[in-house]
Amino acid sequence: MLHANYFDGRSTRVRAVNLSVAGEDLIIAGEDVNFRVPFAHVKVDERLGRAPRRLRLKDGTFCEVRDLDALDTLLLSTAHRDGWVDRMQRHLQFVLFSIVACVALAAVAYKWVLPWAAAKGAHHLPPAIGKTLSVQTLRILDGKILMPSKIAEERRQALSAKFHALRLPEGGTPDSELLFRDSPQLGANAFTLPDGTIIVLDDLLTAIGDDPHTLAVFAHELGHAHGRHGLQLLLQSSAVGAFWTLYIGDISNLLAAAPAALIQARYSQDLEKQADDYGAALLVQNGMSPALLAEALKTLADSHSGSSKGGYLSSHPSTDERMRHLLLLAASFKDK
Amino acid sequence: MDKVSGSESSSPSSSPRAPEQLHFTGSGAEYFGIWIVNLLLTIVTLGIYSAWAKVRRLQYFYRHTEVAGSGFDFHGSPIRILVGRVLALVMLIAYNYSVRLHSPLTIVILAGIAVIMPWLLRNSFRFRLYNTSWRGTRFHFRGTVAGAYRVFLLNGFLTLITLYVMAPFMHQRLKAYQHDNTWFGRTRCSFHARAGQFYAIYLLLLAAAVAFGVVIGFSGIGGALAALAQVQKQGGHVDPHAVYRAVAILYGALILMGISIGPVFHALITNLIWNNTRLGEHRIECNMSPWVLIWISVSNFVLVVLTLGLFIPWAMVRLAKFQLESVRLLPAGDLQEFVAAEPETIGAVGEEAATAFDFDISL
Repeated sequence: MLHANYFDGRSTRVRAVNLSVAGEDLIIAGEDVNFRVPFAHVKVDERLGRAPRRLRLKDGTFCEVRDLDALDTLLLSTAHRDGWVDRMQRHLQFVLFSIVACVALAAVAYKWVLPWAAAKGAHHLPPAIGKTLSVQTLRILDGKILMPSKIAEERRQALSAKFHALRLPEGGTPDSELLFRDSPQLGANAFTLPDGTIIVLDDLLTAIGDDPHTLAVFAHELGHAHGRHGLQLLLQSSAVGAFWTLYIGDISNLLAAAPAALIQARYSQDLEKQADDYGAALLVQNGMSPALLAEALKTLADSHSGSSKGGYLSSHPSTDERMRHLLLLAASFKDK
Repeated sequence: MDKVSGSESSSPSSSPRAPEQLHFTGSGAEYFGIWIVNLLLTIVTLGIYSAWAKVRRLQYFYRHTEVAGSGFDFHGSPIRILVGRVLALVMLIAYNYSVRLHSPLTIVILAGIAVIMPWLLRNSFRFRLYNTSWRGTRFHFRGTVAGAYRVFLLNGFLTLITLYVMAPFMHQRLKAYQHDNTWFGRTRCSFHARAGQFYAIYLLLLAAAVAFGVVIGFSGIGGALAALAQVQKQGGHVDPHAVYRAVAILYGALILMGISIGPVFHALITNLIWNNTRLGEHRIECNMSPWVLIWISVSNFVLVVLTLGLFIPWAMVRLAKFQLESVRLLPAGDLQEFVAAEPETIGAVGEEAATAFDFDISL
């Protein structure tokens, strides 16, 4: 015997009834209700927390049961079995497993799926988008963080000429623009905008000194331009932003990324390695040794030790490992 | 829950009827299991299962919401919700595509969305209400398509060209369109709030925002003066920490305003709307405290961020419980007398498109 409320679906009248099971049938008995239906025709709602469960009959009427444990006992004597999602939702082990699985899947998506999709996307975006973003970024930074270069005009022109004469591994010469700027905040640094424009800062030129090593740094930056790493990072951060907005709410709008984040964005070790490999191939193509890039990295690492400014290498992790990799490449090219 | 059995209003003779408080009996821990399992299934099925997860979420909240001893229920079909979600996604992509790429097509797509939106929103109201029931009797939305175009397109246009001066008026028209066209079975709801009452709340909040802005403005000038004094003292060097501190204060103030204005507005406007809505002769009373709502919103946000989202189920339950339990039904007669209307069928397409475009207009 199980207490329930019966609703006829035509009015809001509540009728107290008792439910019982006899053979294959459900018996509903109470004030002006007394009938039996085959249990096979009764649909039992899944259990959602402590909410009353409903036994729905074919004609749109239903019984509402509050004593969930007693209902479970009653259901044991019928052919009804709870659905698998229903059971998982109440199963502690499965709930714990779901937490772990969700976190693991989110981590996998962030670490591998997102960069892969962003790289694909970066290569399919119309070039106009990269151009617009770069022009906007430069307009915001120029005069605030980036100042006109103080390097002699002749040296800049000579470097530009050598840069544009470089032969790329895939053929042709760089169509990236090379801009010279000075920035007390950013120190010895060079970076690539989403459209491939390379900006080199005075402190970096002073720290490195000679042209071959400077060209090696340019070769590395051309690697970022070739791989469209700037756009890729931008897509990644927008995707992460969109995800958090959807997932948590829209207060994060207040934390909208400033354009400066673009140049301070940390390339992943993976992207750095890609740019190093491309730079090394480019140097070989032009009859220079990949060791130049390794040496340039060393010079920059030395110039940064003891300086509090965030420099070229602060966004370029594990210099030692990269130098080792480049020197290995240099050795293998020498053998050929 | 046992407290409910006592409030059953089945005896037809008891006439001045006691107010019926809405109760929400869900719990965060209980909902967590449902939420995380459905989240996992949604991820594993690349989002397809989200339609089933949504039905379960609505059912969890509806069934734990009780008035006069009986719970509400949600009957929407997941398949229809899925179809609606696909359509919403297509429209969202078309919208983003057209906004990013400036071409003549932009205007065509935006105009198309503007024309289809009122119809979709009206369908979304229909779907949501038709699939909501209490004691086995369904709600209905009977607003006309013409009414939807008047409320969304014409009033929206008027709001824009009057630089939002008409926004409170449009809000009042929208709620009137929704609530005047809502039926519970064969009993019609009615809406009695006047536009002037909406203007009062909007102006109050505007005045508060302006006052807040003035205070921040003065403190900003104060900060700048302090920084200048420091520059003179230290001989030309701006302390970056002072700058960071000023920026942090400014951001903090903005965030504070952002998180407090929203809940205060929501509480005041929700109280106004429900206090002026009647179901037949039955009245509704809504007494939501803006201060408690600020506290719940802020603490929910902080905890959700700190737990990387794992607190979401508790946050949802807390918010639902507070909002729902600030509502009371003041019955004018027997709550057993409502009679169901003829069955109808309504598509889910409208509702899904509306949620994807994030027009949240519900309690």
